[in-house]
Amino acid sequence: MFLEVQRLAKSFGSRPVLCGVDLSVPREQTFAILGRSGCGKTTLLKVLAGLEDPDAGTIRLGGEEITGLPPERRRALYLYQEPLLFPHLDAFENVAFGLRLRRTPDPEVRARVDSMLAELELVSEGRKLPHQLSGGQRQRVSFGRALIVEPALLLLDEPFSSLDGETRTAMQTLFKRVAAAHSITALFVTHSLKEALLMGDSIGLMRDGTLLTYPSKDDFLRDPQSGADAEIAFWTSLQRSTP
Amino acid sequence: MSRAPWVRKALALVFAALCGLPVALLLLLSLAARWPYPRIWPQEIRLDPWRDLLDVAHGDLARTLLVSFVLSSAVALVATALSYLAAKRIASHRNRARLSLLAYAPYVMSPVVLGVCILYLYLRLGLAGTFWGVALAQTIFSTSFGVVFFLGFWTEEKRALEDLVRTLGGTTWQLYAKVLLPISRGALGLCAFQTFLISWFQYGLTVLIGGGAVRTLPMKVFDYINEANLSYAALASLLLVLPPVLLLWVNRRLFLRIV
Repeated sequence: MFLEVQRLAKSFGSRPVLCGVDLSVPREQTFAILGRSGCGKTTLLKVLAGLEDPDAGTIRLGGEEITGLPPERRRALYLYQEPLLFPHLDAFENVAFGLRLRRTPDPEVRARVDSMLAELELVSEGRKLPHQLSGGQRQRVSFGRALIVEPALLLLDEPFSSLDGETRTAMQTLFKRVAAAHSITALFVTHSLKEALLMGDSIGLMRDGTLLTYPSKDDFLRDPQSGADAEIAFWTSLQRSTP
Repeated sequence: MSRAPWVRKALALVFAALCGLPVALLLLLSLAARWPYPRIWPQEIRLDPWRDLLDVAHGDLARTLLVSFVLSSAVALVATALSYLAAKRIASHRNRARLSLLAYAPYVMSPVVLGVCILYLYLRLGLAGTFWGVALAQTIFSTSFGVVFFLGFWTEEKRALEDLVRTLGGTTWQLYAKVLLPISRGALGLCAFQTFLISWFQYGLTVLIGGGAVRTLPMKVFDYINEANLSYAALASLLLVLPPVLLLWVNRRLFLRIV
């Protein structure tokens, strides 16, 4: 397995947030984690990114143990709910940011950023500042900034939750396409059942700091805890009651 | 609802007059050798105070202006840098609320009370009556103002940006150079100016710690008033209000937009 997490635990004071989380994700796959607010999803991603220290457990990425490594050496990139673009840089420089940190030669930066902007359908937006972009465009720039540094693991924390329905659907499609094109291994956290099913190659259910993983999507759908039955029953009853 | 252009112009004029007229009066007073009541203009003009000001080698006022400027610049620079970093640390500390409360102490305690509290230590350390002693005392006072100022700046969003840079592979140096300092430029400038003014107008603490050996512009104004030396007092006052006036001039577009 490309990402292997074993018995990961984390408490804030006397409150346990992660209680022995085990998780395995194969290379180039997206693992969706479904859970309500406050169940520990964000903390799990932050511990994987190195932004929070675990109390116990190990994290292995590509065969190497990264549990004690600082965030800048993990190659695990954490994406927030909000795009968090750098307000003083235009879209082009936001995408180029990771390459500038690595002191990549300027001609290479230009070529790679131009290509990324084209892939994300942002060619004409390159010189715009973040406040001049729409919500969907900002989120695409944020993706571009993450993808261009070729992270080993992408950690997405409800990245589309602040977008309207139409833009959200477009972004989900775009993410699937880009993730496949760049052979991305990702953890996708969401509280939407539909989004978890759409985005994940496999799914886990998080509740009160524990993660339940399923061998397949069918197994997930069959589990009453997933809420899938209730969702299907709701839409079916709605369909029946509509004349 | 936007105001009519003539109303905006009239308001801008009233605002400019409110700021400019006292400065103009000080300028006239600094030039007046004789200005008896009820004359509208001075009867006799003399340039002695201004000559003294320009005589950097011998002029008392020029030396005081230089001391004040260096002192306030040093205080502004150090207090801004310290408060920027201290507020950042406090904002992400688990005891943020308690630590923030400490930063408000100088608001409760006047500068003179602070001076009395630290005077004994200063005497023991040989800092009383020295330029750097006054600078340090003013820096302690100004830093807490800066901390309160920057506590509002270090939001969760800034913390998230910091985390993002680190996961993108950035070092601490790159984090400051490429993100934190560029996005803090406005706040840093404003804080530096605010702390400069706190030091620039500081009187009680300077008198107490400086013990008369360190003379700044506000002390000079009082000296001239006590001597009934009106033109010198006016010139010293004019120099004292110069920084805020310069700020108004630099930000005139902003003020015009407000009115």
